[in-house]
Order: sequence, then C-alpha cells, then structure tokens
Amino acid sequence: MSLRIIPRIDIKGPNVVKGINLEGLRVLGKPSDFAKYYYENGADELLYMDVVASLYERNSLQNIIEETASDVFIPITVGGGIRNLNDINTVLRSGADKVLINTAAIKNPEFIREAANNFGSSTIVISIEVIKQQNNNYLCFTDNGREFTGINAIDWVQKIQDLGAGEIVLTSVDREGTGNGFDDELIKSICAKLSIPLIIHGGAGSSEHVLNTAKEFPQIDGFGIASMFHYHFLKEYDIINKNFDEGNIDFIKKGLHPKGISPTHINSLKSYLYNNKIDVRLF
Amino acid sequence: MMEKKNTQGRYNLPEEVLFCKKCVISNQRPRITFDENGVCSACNFAEYKKSKVDWGQREKELVELLDKHRRNDGSYDVIVPCSGGKDAAYIAHELKHKYNMNPLTVTWAPHIYTEIGFQNLHNMIRVGDLANILSTPPGVTHKKLTKLSFEVLGDPFQPFIYGQYNFPLKAAVQYKVPLIMYGENGEVEYGGDMKNAFKPTRDYKGDQAKHYFSNLLPEDFLKYGLNENDILPYMPPSDEELDSLSTEIHFYGYYKKWVPQENFYYCVENTGFKPNPVRNEGTYSKYASLDDQLDGFHYYLSYIKFGLGRCTSDAAHEVRDGHITREEAVALVKKFDGEFPIKYFHTFLEYCGITEEYFNQVIDSWRSNHLWEKDNNGDWKLKNSL
Amino acid sequence: MSSNRKVAIIDYGIGNLYSVKKACEYVGLDSIITSNKIDILNCGAMILPGVGAFGNAMNNIQEKDLIESIQQFAKSGRYIMGVCLGMQLLMEYSEEFGKQNGLSLIKGGCKKFNFNENVKVPQINWNKIYSPNQYEIFSEESPLSKISQGTYMYFVHSFYVEPLEKNNILSITSYDNFEYCSSICKDNIFGFQFHPEKSGKNGLVLYDNFKNLIKK
Repeated sequence: MSLRIIPRIDIKGPNVVKGINLEGLRVLGKPSDFAKYYYENGADELLYMDVVASLYERNSLQNIIEETASDVFIPITVGGGIRNLNDINTVLRSGADKVLINTAAIKNPEFIREAANNFGSSTIVISIEVIKQQNNNYLCFTDNGREFTGINAIDWVQKIQDLGAGEIVLTSVDREGTGNGFDDELIKSICAKLSIPLIIHGGAGSSEHVLNTAKEFPQIDGFGIASMFHYHFLKEYDIINKNFDEGNIDFIKKGLHPKGISPTHINSLKSYLYNNKIDVRLF
Repeated sequence: MMEKKNTQGRYNLPEEVLFCKKCVISNQRPRITFDENGVCSACNFAEYKKSKVDWGQREKELVELLDKHRRNDGSYDVIVPCSGGKDAAYIAHELKHKYNMNPLTVTWAPHIYTEIGFQNLHNMIRVGDLANILSTPPGVTHKKLTKLSFEVLGDPFQPFIYGQYNFPLKAAVQYKVPLIMYGENGEVEYGGDMKNAFKPTRDYKGDQAKHYFSNLLPEDFLKYGLNENDILPYMPPSDEELDSLSTEIHFYGYYKKWVPQENFYYCVENTGFKPNPVRNEGTYSKYASLDDQLDGFHYYLSYIKFGLGRCTSDAAHEVRDGHITREEAVALVKKFDGEFPIKYFHTFLEYCGITEEYFNQVIDSWRSNHLWEKDNNGDWKLKNSL
Repeated sequence: MSSNRKVAIIDYGIGNLYSVKKACEYVGLDSIITSNKIDILNCGAMILPGVGAFGNAMNNIQEKDLIESIQQFAKSGRYIMGVCLGMQLLMEYSEEFGKQNGLSLIKGGCKKFNFNENVKVPQINWNKIYSPNQYEIFSEESPLSKISQGTYMYFVHSFYVEPLEKNNILSITSYDNFEYCSSICKDNIFGFQFHPEKSGKNGLVLYDNFKNLIKK
C-alpha cells in the first residue's frame, strides 16, 4: 500500500498560518498558492484546517475550497468548525472530498455515526489532538488544542472506529510545529487498536523523521506535514507582491525558518522514502 | 455589607464608556486616551511602530548602548527582569547570543508557581543557557500583603508588582550592573501615559507610583499592621544608591518592534518554552502570563473594576499586532472575557486565608455603578459591552 | 441532438459533483450538473458520480425517477462514464446489506473486500492500474488511452465490481495481493472505481480522452 504524503495547510481567514503546539498565528501566505504548488509537485492529498473556526465559532473556508478545487485535482480534506450535517454538505459541495472533525465529535460522539451514515464512512475523518500528561497518559483536546476534555486518546480511538469513521488524523500537539520528530510512543499505543486508515501529523522536521517512523510503523497510511514543506515553498514564494489585508507577516518577510525544521521539497521526501524501500507514489 | 469603594474616583474613570474603534479596549483602562476619531493611544502607537519607526536605526542605538555596557570579564553587564515567561527569555537570550552581553535574569517569585511556569523558567536557564536569580520574600508576610491589597486596592497582585519593579533595582545595586532592560513599556504599548513613548528609558524616580503601583506604595501598608522590616523586601534601593551607580532602565520594545507572539515563537525555538496545554482562564491564548496560579484573580479584578478582563487585554494587543481582526477580537471577548478563574479559586482563598463570602464581598465592593447593574435574575451584568 | 457535446453530470444527492465539473471544465468539456430528465436527454454524454452506500444511492436515483432515463441513455449509444460508486451502480446488484439491484447495464455484481483484520478497508489509497492482459496497453478507444501501465490513480472503496464477462474488464488493480477489476467497459459504457477527477494529471488525461470520444 503506498504511503500518502499529505501537506497540511492551516488557515485563518484568508491566510495560511503556522503555529507551534497549535498556538500562534504567523502568516505564511495564501492557501491556494500553497495548494497549487503542492498539487503540482507530488502531493497525494491536501489537508485544509481552519484553526480558528471552533474558537471564533464561524465557518469561512468555502471560497478557499472552491478556488482550490478548480485547479487542484487530488483529494482535499477540510477541517475546522464542522459542527453538523449541513456544514459537511456545504464543504463537500464546495469541492472537498472528506471532512475532518474533532470538537463536534467529542462533544457528541453519535455525530460520527450520523455523518458516516449520511455521507459514507470514507468521507468522515476524525481528528485527534493529543497532549501528553505528567503520568504519561495521552489526553484529547478540542478547539485547536485549547480545551481540556479529560478523554483518553486510546479509548477514544476505539470508540471512533466503532462509530463508523473512515480515517483518523492523529496530531501530537506537543510535537506540532517544533520539528522534533514524531511521538513514536503515542503512535505505538494508537496503532495497536487501529483497523481504519491512520494519518500521522505533528513533529516532522526532516526526511529522516518521516522515514524512521514509517519504517517502525508500517500500519501508518499517511503523514500530514506542514512546516517542513511550507518553509521550503517559501523560499520561492514571492511574498512581497502579495496583498495581505490582515495578518502579521513580519516573520516571513525576514526569510527565515524555525531552527528545528529542514525545509524540504515534497518530491525530495518522496524520493528519499522510495529509495529507502517505502512504497510511495513517485511523481 | 462591605463599604463600596470609589473605583471610579480612584482611577479617574470617565462616566461614559467608549470602546476603541480599532481594537477592543475601552476608555476605562486607567490613563488611556482616545483621539478625536475614537482610536485609543495604544492603537495609534501601534500604527506609529509600523510605519514611522526606523527599526534599523533603533537597532544601531541598541548596539551603541550595549557596546557601552558590555563587560568581557565574565561579570554580568545587564539585568533582565524576568518571570520565566516568553518576553524576558527572548530578551535575555538575544542579548546574550546575538549581542554578546552577559545578562543576569532576575525573577521576583510569583505567589505560587504553576507547573508550566516553573518548567519554562528552568528551561530558560538550561536550554537558553541563561543565569537566573530567583527572589522569594517571606511567605507569611507575602500572603498578608496579598490579602490586604486584594481588599484595599482590588488587586491581589500588588506585592508581586512591587517586587517586579523594585527587585531588579536592588539586584542592579547589589551586582553593580547599571543597565536594566525591561521588555515593553506597558503604558505606551497597551494604553496609558504616553510620556515615554519616544524615548528608550524610564525614570526610576517618580513614575512608579502612578504608572505601576496605582498610587499605593509599600510604605502605605504600614497602617495595616505591617512594620518597616516586613516591607523592606518590597522596597527599592535608595535613590542615592541608584544615582551613584548611574542606573538606567531601558525598554527593549523601543529598540525592537515588540510583538509578543513573536517572542513566543522565539522562545519555543531557543529557550525550551512551552505554552500552556490548555487556554488560560478568561482568555483564548496559551502563551502569555502562565507563571502564577493566582494570575487569574488579577485579571478578574480588572474585569470587575474596569470591565476589561484578560481576553480583552490579549485580544486588543493581538489586533494591534495584526494577528486578528477587530471582528475576531470582539467574538473572542464575548466568548471568554470575565470567565471566572475557578481552577485556582480554592487555592486563592486558602492562600489569603479568606472565605468565599468575604471574597464575594470584596469583589462586589469594587464594582462601580457606572459599569455594573443587576439583571432580571439578580445577576451582575456590564452595562456596556462591545 | 447528436451534435450536442455537453455532458450531464447526474445529481442524485451524493458525490463530489463540483470536482467532476471542474475536471470537465479543465479539459474543455462543457457540462451541466442536473437531475432533470429533459436536460439529461438533451446531453451528448453522461457522467454518473457517487460516493457512499449503494442502497442509498439507488434509492435516491429511484426517487428522482432517473432509472429509466439512464437506461434509455445507455441504449441510445451515447457515452456514459460511471465514477466510483457510480460505476458500481451500473452493475446488476451489490452485496451491500443483502442483495440490492443496480442499473443492470453490465452483467455482474459488487462484492465487499474480504481481508483479514490487518488489511484496512475501505481502501483509501493511490494504487496502480493495469491492462487485464499482460503486455497489452489500454485501448485507444477508451478513456484510458495513452495512460501508461502501472499509473497511480486514487481509490476509495470497500466494494469492488466483478463483471461476468471478461471483455467488460478494462483495468485491474491489486490490493494486498488481491487482484480485482478497477475499470469496466461495454460499448458506450465505461466505469472507473477510482476517482479520475482526484487522480492528478493522469486523471485529467482520462477526462480529456472522454471528451475526445464524445467529439467523434
């Protein structure tokens, strides 16, 4: 089975943003620019995440999805503020293929079943945002890593499957944006229980991280990667001539990237994986 | 029934509540001013920062200043007041690793360290490679002062604030380091007295009382049963000692464009900083003011006295820094502002040695009638909201 | 009517119609999203998309009273392309929840993948398509014309089709060493288990080929 490499694009309003530990709103650019670039350079799917939808209680991705779906012909998964069947329908009709749900599912687990029955299991992807506790338990959080739920990630994974979800995206909030590598312990405990596809997200800093984790856990179906790809794209992105009505672009104007991140071209990662005997779709 | 305090008179608050057209702060923030377009001084200052300041030039001035003070013999050459949070960690780290200074971070202990706060302080030391002095005054007196200032001033944070301003001065004198580098000039960045807006320094003579101590000095507590020895840890060194050292207090925010969120990113990368795993009570953010379990009560009282809670503070400066729009800020304020800091409520009661009833009485005594009224259910409501 | 080169994308309440339309647009194929019988009959070709449950889909199509229209359309010799569930609907039946009837345009039915618990179902994956006969390339008379052997296409499905007649099999694919039919063909009818509108540039080649077939 070929491993899917999925650029994850966090969005706030009209902009791509990139935080660390799901905090911070550094603006990196325009979603459709990133989407198009990744599509043209070997991405297997795209993941759009509205990081403030639950927090601001709004939905604003429709236009971006429509714009992207006009010239990007790979599967698009959209998350952030999906609260009811109507939201799902709106997003799918705009050109998305799958929806990513976290907060609404935790608040009302039956929603997963309802959604799967209505739209098909494979359309419903559940996002789990996990923070490691002092006692080494992994607990789930909602609202972009902000609200405590007390729910144990491993228990929740089992429940999600029983309720008919099609896939899971597992985010380590602790690793997210740091480039410190994936949390293999977390993955190990989740993999054991899993019978539906699993996408790992949070921590990729270098190609080696991805290779090591992919080799260690062949049950992983895909990787969601943000910083590593974004900071590479930014090297050729003409930020100066873009129009930003909102958002703080101080950082990207400097042309820097965070220390822990090795900016990597998506196809370089794929070739590297392929040469190390990981089955990926080469471009 | 406790006697009602004259909140409005004490802080000179205008009768009519107005909200800034650009951010979400109101004219109830003490000392803030609004221009004829209804825009607050902090927003205007933010505009000025964005478009009128030559940051290249400002950095040159910083380098000149640092060149004057740098010591190459291993002794400290700059004091950085610090809580272990993102701002001071950023300043100290950059001073050391970019500008080759030898900073001493000085921390006036929070009332009760949070786990994450303590961890961040230690990461600052171990990962950021920074020296630190942590000063904790005698605990019983500190509790007494906290309880007293809660009632007398409507802010349990006062004993913390004294040390935050005076301890670095003491450290400067003790270690013979004339240069003290604070972060931002809060008055200027968040709306207050604009008098120091265009210079890098503040005067250690005179401004403190009004700007930071709400006109209540440590010595004012003598009439509440404390003695001279009790309040000594909270006092600054004498003006003579500071003069003879040629002490200078500078603001890093004058030399560098101050964006708190960028400080957060810097610290995650360089000093092992971790944000709070959950959002802070009373707000949406995870990266600011994480150190003290009793923090929430300072912000809650600000909400009671001025109608401006923690979320308002956070959202207002994030609007000015461009991270969020005013519309988004309004949504956040409506959602989170004034949220009661329940997590450490019993800790707070225990710390101060007070009952819940007494707590509520004090809270209500600070509610000014020009801001608060009771609704049909008998619950307190702000008369004016965004 | 036969000079009408517009394709009707059938809207029966499920499926990513927007992406199908965008793919058509991209290759210069005029299209209309519709469930209106008259509109459909006036079009030169048809695309039947679909995602989700077979039974649900057939119910919806029945409710919109489109079963006959689709069958008539097929008889008229105009091109029909079924995508994903849309392809499965072209078969006689599916074994999802007992036996449910399809549009019966192609003989055979749909079966569920039967793997041990280590293999993930549904298959959500880029996978390779091949000609059913080794060493052969895809027919120039099909939408797979010029597409190389072993090209990756995007699959999302738990059921697969099993055409009764071998010459209805247009491509095969392997999942966990299980070989199954991934595209079907019968005269003017084509069906693709994968999503060509989600398979990048190669998927767009398929749409382009479909457009060229219609033009002839």
